[in-house]
Amino acid sequence: MARPTPNGLAQAFQALRLHSSTTSRPVTRCLARQTRTYATEVEGQQPSALATEEQAPAAPEIDFSNFSRRPARIVPASPSYFSGSPRFIDHVLKLESLQAKYASLPTVAAGDAPRMAWFKFAQFRDYVGEPVPMKKYKSLVKILQRLNRIQPEMVPREVKRTLKSFLRPGNPYAVQYVQRTVDENGRARAKGKRKESIAVVQLVEGEGEVLVNGKSLVEAFQRVHDRESALWALRSTQRLDKYNAWITVRGGGVTGQAEAITLAIGRALLMHEPALKPVLRKAGVISVDARRVERKKPGHVKARKMPTWVKR
Amino acid sequence: MIVRKLCMRQSRQLLALNRRAPAYSRFLSTETPVETAVQTPAKESPAPAENPLHQVVQASRESRKLKPRQQWNELEKRRHKFNTLGSAVQESYDPEDILRNPPKPSDITLEMLLAAGTHMGHSTSRWNPQNSRYIFGIREGVHIISLDVTAAYLRRAAKVVEEVAARGGIILFAGTRKGQKRAVVHAAELAKGYHIFERWIPGSMTNGQQILGHCETKVVNALDEELPEFKVDLADRPSVKPDLVIVLNPLENVVLLHECGLNNVPTIGIIDTDADPTRVTYPIPANDDTLRGTSLIAGILGRAGEAGQKRRLEMAAEGKTDYEPITARQLRLDPLTGLPPPGSELEKGQQA
Repeated sequence: MARPTPNGLAQAFQALRLHSSTTSRPVTRCLARQTRTYATEVEGQQPSALATEEQAPAAPEIDFSNFSRRPARIVPASPSYFSGSPRFIDHVLKLESLQAKYASLPTVAAGDAPRMAWFKFAQFRDYVGEPVPMKKYKSLVKILQRLNRIQPEMVPREVKRTLKSFLRPGNPYAVQYVQRTVDENGRARAKGKRKESIAVVQLVEGEGEVLVNGKSLVEAFQRVHDRESALWALRSTQRLDKYNAWITVRGGGVTGQAEAITLAIGRALLMHEPALKPVLRKAGVISVDARRVERKKPGHVKARKMPTWVKR
Repeated sequence: MIVRKLCMRQSRQLLALNRRAPAYSRFLSTETPVETAVQTPAKESPAPAENPLHQVVQASRESRKLKPRQQWNELEKRRHKFNTLGSAVQESYDPEDILRNPPKPSDITLEMLLAAGTHMGHSTSRWNPQNSRYIFGIREGVHIISLDVTAAYLRRAAKVVEEVAARGGIILFAGTRKGQKRAVVHAAELAKGYHIFERWIPGSMTNGQQILGHCETKVVNALDEELPEFKVDLADRPSVKPDLVIVLNPLENVVLLHECGLNNVPTIGIIDTDADPTRVTYPIPANDDTLRGTSLIAGILGRAGEAGQKRRLEMAAEGKTDYEPITARQLRLDPLTGLPPPGSELEKGQQA
């Protein structure tokens, strides 16, 4: 158990006296050392007036230019030197101070803020030159996004400049989407993918002839369902007899090829008649099905199937 | 089933279908549901332009049309106008005050320390008996740290920081607990020192070349201006070690203190009643669990460092240094062998 010490004050004073004697020693040593230092001896500096005798003559004038050119100390370049990743921490502190400084500015919703392509993780690591972990990178991006949400017309110049330094070169969001159109010969060329298949369709106005890899549709697809789905874009808009399609399709199986053709024809038809978009969207022929076969994993029989459990 | 009985059974429910659910307003309100005469008859509403409410509505409608910047300016103007209204509170505690404008070591008072809660120790069962001389007593099973001792030790630590700063020492502020970041960074900024608010990487001092080797250093003159011509000589130099380490939570930074001990680096630490005071060179007996207390102590030490740096720069302006500056010759020598690099002018000079 603790004993309350009634003479705590006295003890403290004693401790102070003890410690003050120890602390005072290096100070005096330093003062004594001040009179003759290695540096002053070598470089011919006069001993300072502080530590000389009372009768000493006045010191000569200081050569300021020489003094300021003489090295004195080796110090870390950044105050976060000892953290091991000083450049990253300096960036974070700078961004946090900006965020605190401009916290009261009005903001817009995250969706209305201008799209910015920040450094990707690997690029950011290269930029900072330090092995920053993912978690810390994400926290920095969070601050960047908050600063980016400031009302676009009121963003202070320094915030703008700082945010710009974190953008990856070549703004990918500046590229405007170009609407592709029918070429000079009246052909609309479009690609479609489904599963492993890739279909390229050239669609021209005509009488409803379809060639798939040089074969007729019936030869290319045995199943009626596949034939139906391949031309679903034309059928659902009642344009089966208004266009000719010349199709090349590679890879995958029959279903994949048929549905790749669906997508390609849907896109090509959009080039001819952009007004059909809502109809085609509703018919489900311009929605991309991005599903692919899931890879098999080690320890599994298939992608997810586990081997049967055997007791021994 | 007998039809008569059916009627008897179901008719009540049929009747209830059209009836309103009884609302017991008596229980919902304290006022009597008696209708009273309107005491203030509604005035004839004046012309819409003179109605203040109407004006406000108009103004808000206009402001909706304003651009965001103008809208913001309007808001700021209004805020500025209304900020001066109301009563002025003379003495109030602002948590930001300690962080933004920490007191100087000469301003330390026991009241200030008490208000920051630095006197609260740990439960008596967790004490370290080496702290007995810092302990004032027990209250409700908790040790109370003697504040006059705290103040004395804090002043001593501030003096140490000031003298180290005045001699151009590298001061490292370490506070790795959650919430200590701002205090640590601000104190380091004041004292022109260095800060750690995340984990101390073990080996930063004992294996510095590996861990801090890639971190930049620079050569400065006595006026703290960088001398870029010596940049070449900094390659292959051992990493910089601090000359004084201030730890706000020594219990969590055992490795840091151990490395400081191995490298003969003096340390200042906030020692709670459960900590070992011999782990640090200059203990400050105080509560290390209160953020207000730790940021107060960090701020005071930061201010002490600020005073020391000011003194050092004043001396440097007069062309004097309080410490042994590194010479150009020392910089040119090989840091490992202490010999001049082969083929240089220095080597020829030594041979001759």
